[in-house]
Amino acid sequence: MEANSWIVILLCSVGTFAIRALPLIWTRRHLARQNNNEDKTLPTWLGLLGPLMIAAMFGVSLVPVRHDWIGAVATLAGCITTFVAWYRSRTLGKPVFLGVVVFGLVTFACTQF
Amino acid sequence: MTEPFASSSPAWIQGMRDAMPLLGGYIPVAISFGLIATQANFSVWEATAISALIYAGASQFLMVAMLASGASLWLVVVMTLLINARHVVYAPNLTPLLPPGRSWIALMHGLTDQVFALAHHRLPAIPLVQRRGWYTGAAILAWSSWVLGTMLGAVAGAGLTQQWPLLGEVMPFALPALFLVLIAPRFTSALWIIVLMITITLALVLALLQFTNAAIPVAAASGALAYYALNALSTKRGNSHGS
Repeated sequence: MEANSWIVILLCSVGTFAIRALPLIWTRRHLARQNNNEDKTLPTWLGLLGPLMIAAMFGVSLVPVRHDWIGAVATLAGCITTFVAWYRSRTLGKPVFLGVVVFGLVTFACTQF
Repeated sequence: MTEPFASSSPAWIQGMRDAMPLLGGYIPVAISFGLIATQANFSVWEATAISALIYAGASQFLMVAMLASGASLWLVVVMTLLINARHVVYAPNLTPLLPPGRSWIALMHGLTDQVFALAHHRLPAIPLVQRRGWYTGAAILAWSSWVLGTMLGAVAGAGLTQQWPLLGEVMPFALPALFLVLIAPRFTSALWIIVLMITITLALVLALLQFTNAAIPVAAASGALAYYALNALSTKRGNSHGS
């Protein structure tokens, strides 16, 4: 790899780290200033974006690796299993594990027929 | 309702335990990245260094493809940072949940989409003094799996994907399953159900149309606009019924 490529990698590393870390410093300053007058609060739109970003990540991740009916059926079955398992257990690991198992079983079963 | 925090084990172990579902999504994608990077004439160590230092999935694939095709170096930097720009809203959302300390600045290197989603969901249930340990454990496990997965992909990716093709299709489902568990507790009112469904559907449609990088910020911003519009509508209706 050329030296120029290493410069690109370093610039991208520093830039990505800055994108992640600088808002922490800015928000801490903002909250510290606010704390002198009232309770710590974020702007409503910013607090709203957190769960909505997670919802958007869910939507994007729903696109399966295989773009056919098997992928769609397996994704639906996996999502239903995950949701039902979460509704019953209200835990994190078990619903994800069961969802992946059902997704895998449906994919495997459909590819056999 | 959130899963209770098991105070009997150290916080960092609990963090690693909570982050385990991420591995199903990280490892297959990291193996693919290692394989693609070596096919684009990067060495094993160079591919691993990219994953360790940049640590941002989609933008790494783009960066390697652009460098391999001989694109302008500044264009590569700008495009990579544009894809990662969505991360700018993650730290502000976590800041009210974090105890004071300078080490948090360094720990932000591990703030990926998935680690943010997990931390945003779990931190409120964890005692304040144990949050740094929990986050460190979760972030280090996720980062290590990404780096080691890249190394594995660069060394033996072609053989692995030929031997177990179904595994590469099945394991990535851990990510949508995890995100579903993380947002499920938010379906608490008609307003939130409508807003979340708009966001999820729009993100899915944009991803299917190959606008994957724009899908997350565009869908989230549209969801926020829908929230304000519906909220204003319901307030207006409440006022007209009241008068």
